[in-house]
Order: sequence, then C-alpha cells, then structure tokens
Amino acid sequence: MAGQDCLAANEWICGEFVRTRSQELVDASVEHLWITAASVAAGVLLALPLALLARRWRAAATPVLGVTTVLYTIPSLALFSLLVPVFGISASVVVTGLTLYSLTILVRNFLAGLDAVPEDAREAARGMGYGPIRLLWEVELPLAMPAVMAGVRIATVATVSLTTVGSIIGYGGLGNLIKEGMQSFFKAEVLTASVICVVFALVADLLLLGVQRLLTPWARAAKAAG
Amino acid sequence: MSKALRTATALAAVAVLSAGLAACGGDSLEKSGGGGSSQAGGGKGSLTVGSAGFTESTVLAQLYSQLLTDAGYKTTIKTVDNRELYEPALEKGQIDVVPEYAATLAEFLNAKVNGKDAAPVASSDVDATVTALTELAGPLGLKVLPAGEAVDQNAFAVTKEFAEKNDLKTLSDLGKSKIKVKLAAGEECSIRPFCSPGLKKIYGIDVTSVDAKGVGTVQAKQAVKDGTDQLVLTTTTDATLDQFGLVLLEDDKGLQNADNLLPVVNAKEAGGADVAAALDKLTQVLTTADLAGLNKQVDSERKKPEDVAADYLKSKGLLKG
Repeated sequence: MAGQDCLAANEWICGEFVRTRSQELVDASVEHLWITAASVAAGVLLALPLALLARRWRAAATPVLGVTTVLYTIPSLALFSLLVPVFGISASVVVTGLTLYSLTILVRNFLAGLDAVPEDAREAARGMGYGPIRLLWEVELPLAMPAVMAGVRIATVATVSLTTVGSIIGYGGLGNLIKEGMQSFFKAEVLTASVICVVFALVADLLLLGVQRLLTPWARAAKAAG
Repeated sequence: MSKALRTATALAAVAVLSAGLAACGGDSLEKSGGGGSSQAGGGKGSLTVGSAGFTESTVLAQLYSQLLTDAGYKTTIKTVDNRELYEPALEKGQIDVVPEYAATLAEFLNAKVNGKDAAPVASSDVDATVTALTELAGPLGLKVLPAGEAVDQNAFAVTKEFAEKNDLKTLSDLGKSKIKVKLAAGEECSIRPFCSPGLKKIYGIDVTSVDAKGVGTVQAKQAVKDGTDQLVLTTTTDATLDQFGLVLLEDDKGLQNADNLLPVVNAKEAGGADVAAALDKLTQVLTTADLAGLNKQVDSERKKPEDVAADYLKSKGLLKG
C-alpha cells in the first residue's frame, strides 16, 4: 500500500513505478540501446573512409572537417524535424541524425590517430613489402587505435544522451519516458529514466575502455615495462 | 602477426556485438507490432494512431486504439511532439487516425492553406467550425469524423462560496453583478481576445488586473481559493477544480472557440465506415467530465493511460470482447 502511495504522492524515487512500468522501461531501454549502437556503428563505418580521404588528399581535409563540424552546430530538434520529410516518422530519422552528429567527433579523432602514426613505422613496413591495405590494417590502424577508441568512446557517450531528443517523434528510447514524465510532472518517471540513461553512458564507456585495452595490449606491456 | 589477428578478432567481436544489438532492437519493434495483432485476432489490416504526447492526447489515442483493435484492426500508437510534425504524417498516411480539437485544427489548416493572415474560420459554434474544418481537410486527403460533446477549451472558474453568495452560474451573471475581480491567468491573458479583453468587452466583467500565475496552475487555483484573486483561467477538462473548491462559470455568450474532440483520419487508409463506426461509439458517449476524470486518473493517481482507457471502455460497455 505504501508503494501505491509514492505514485500518487509523486515522489522522485518510487519502487511501485519501477514495478508497474517494468515492461515500458525495458522496451524503452532496448530501443535506446539499439538506436545508439546503430548510430555509432554507422558513424564509425562512415568516418573511417572520410578520414582516409582527408588524409590521402589534403585538399579534401578542410571541407570534410568543416562539413562534419558544421553538422554538429545544427540543433538536434531542428535536425530531426528536417529529416522527417525525408524518412517519415521512423527510427531512421533519429539514427541518421545521430550518425551525422557522431561524425564530427569520429572523423577528427580518426584523422588525428592516423596522422600520429610515426613515419618511421610506415617506412619500415613499406621496406618489408607491405602494400597499402596491409599497411593500413596491420600498422596504421593499430597504432592509431588509442585516438580512434577515444573518439568512439566520446561519440558513444554523446549519442546515448542525444538519443533522448528522438522523443519528439516517439523514437527516443528512454527520452520518450523522460518527455512524458516532464509533461505530466511525473517525478518518478523522469528520474528513473534519466538514471538508466546515465548508467548506460557509464557502462558503455567502460565496455569500450575494455575493448581498447584488448586492442592495444602493447600499451599495457609498455606501462609495465616502464 | 598475432597482434594483427587479435586486432581483427576484437574488431569482429565489436561488429558482431553491435549487429546483435541492432537485430535485438529490430525484433522488439516487430514484437510490439505483433502484440497488437494477437489482441486483434481479426484481419482487417493495420492502423497507426497518433498521439501528441500530453496526457489527454495519450489517453484518447489509447481509447481509439483499443476500440479499433476491438473492431478487428491491428493498431500501433505513435507519439509525435506537435501538430507541425504529425499533421503532414497524417496526410501521407504514415499515421492514420489522430484525436483532434475542432477549432484548433481548423485554424491550423486555415493558416496552412490560406496563409497566416487568413480570416478565422473557427468560432464558438461547433457545427460551423466542424463544417469549416471538413472543407479545409478534404482536399488534403483528411476525413473529419463527427464531433461529440466532450470539449477541451479555456474556461473560467470561481470558488463555490463566491458563486453561491453572488448567485453566479454564467459569465454573464458575473458581468451583471458588477463585482471587481482579479484574474489569475497567464501573462498573455491581458492581450488575448478570448481572455481579459473578451471578458470586458463581451461580458462587461470588471477585470481590475491579471495576476500572472499561468493557465490552470496549482498556484493560480490556490490564489483564488485563498481569495487573493477571484477568477481563474483554466480548461474544461481540469479535474482538480473540486480539490480547490472551484466551479466553472458557463461561457454563455460563446467567447471560446469550439474545441470539441473529434477523430481525424487519413481518408485513403482509414476513411471506411468501419473505422468511423468504431470511433463514433466513443464520441457519442464521452463527456467533458469523463475526459477530466480520465486525465485525473493519469495525472494525479498515476495510473497507466492504457489501463485507464481500458477501464473506461469496459465500464461504458463499448468493447465487444
């Protein structure tokens, strides 16, 4: 009975809310995660060729970086509204918008990482007969990995929070609950959804940190040796 | 070489993981669509009901959706922030049914079709407003279903004691009584024709000042209860008036536009008689007080809109199943 009261009393923390709305919370969380994952994955797939393009032809670097940076200055509400006529009311609007935003961070970091690969390492690899693809895959990308993964981590955390804005067309994951709660002053709904959102951001960051460790075992070895 | 292998393995793992997550999401979407079908059981096709996200709209979308499910359609609900976004989707058939307000939608379409400065088509007359709306909506591919009694419009309230002492039932009574009143309302009330200027001009009410406390907020209602202000601007579906000991005064000279509730559908996707008949069952029964009660269950008692809608439909015997 006390549980029922915290709903009517509109308390910030309410176990009864979590109990009665567990299905809604799970659905929203799942939507939130797949929108975030799809956006960052698409961002990475797009950012890599863009960064390679900018590195290969320096003339392309300025426009590529310029355009991806300007994209980030478009307010998310406006960007999503502008994409609605293209995709209709669908999750593609949100995924596309978030992918465009992630490019700002990803392209810059990928390019910085590739630029930081020592010329000596490249020379040595070429001397050993590495072709351009093998050079990229086995020498440059692994050496660029710390900057690449730093970019992916920042982009992921940013995307987790930006996904909530998708609620303007009903595809905002936990943002749908946050918005609904804000409109009817439902404190438990706003707080619970927000907390889950923050937890997702933190967990995603830690998981990616783990992936980065796996991908750069030599960094730990160097630390241990030094 | 082993390093490269490890890199490749980890990258592959990330790819598989994200693909898995994406697939997982896709599944869940399909499932939610399928959930509707298992309830429906029939095979009349699927309809998308739009909701504008605020409580009343969410409850109405649930009522519509459950009635249509009962009539044999698969339904899904899409929540879209505002009319600027969902109205075009309704025209295109991405959304098939939306709960709407006659006067507000009529003016929205009027501005869209005839430009921002077009002469108003909505009035306090429901029939005239719905006729105007139907004419505007038709060429856009929208079908306007009949309006009911339930209406969500601006309304003015006073305390019960104040109403009894001065024998007030309508806004005209208040005008005749020549009582000076302070009005608790939004800041813009002093310039909006439906608000303070209209009260003075149409009803001859002596509004001494507008106390900017917001439309129908707790503070505004409390101010009237405490006697700081005498009149409060709220809406007809405000279910908390009782808690503050307030009563609405009737808008007997029709200052407010007829924002009666009606379903608006995409003519091609949901223009059939079946849909109209299913939704009309609700339109015939739903009253303004019912709507206020439903809003209250969601906003004060924090029940789920879905459950509130189901209980209402059952209590009125509107479901076959």
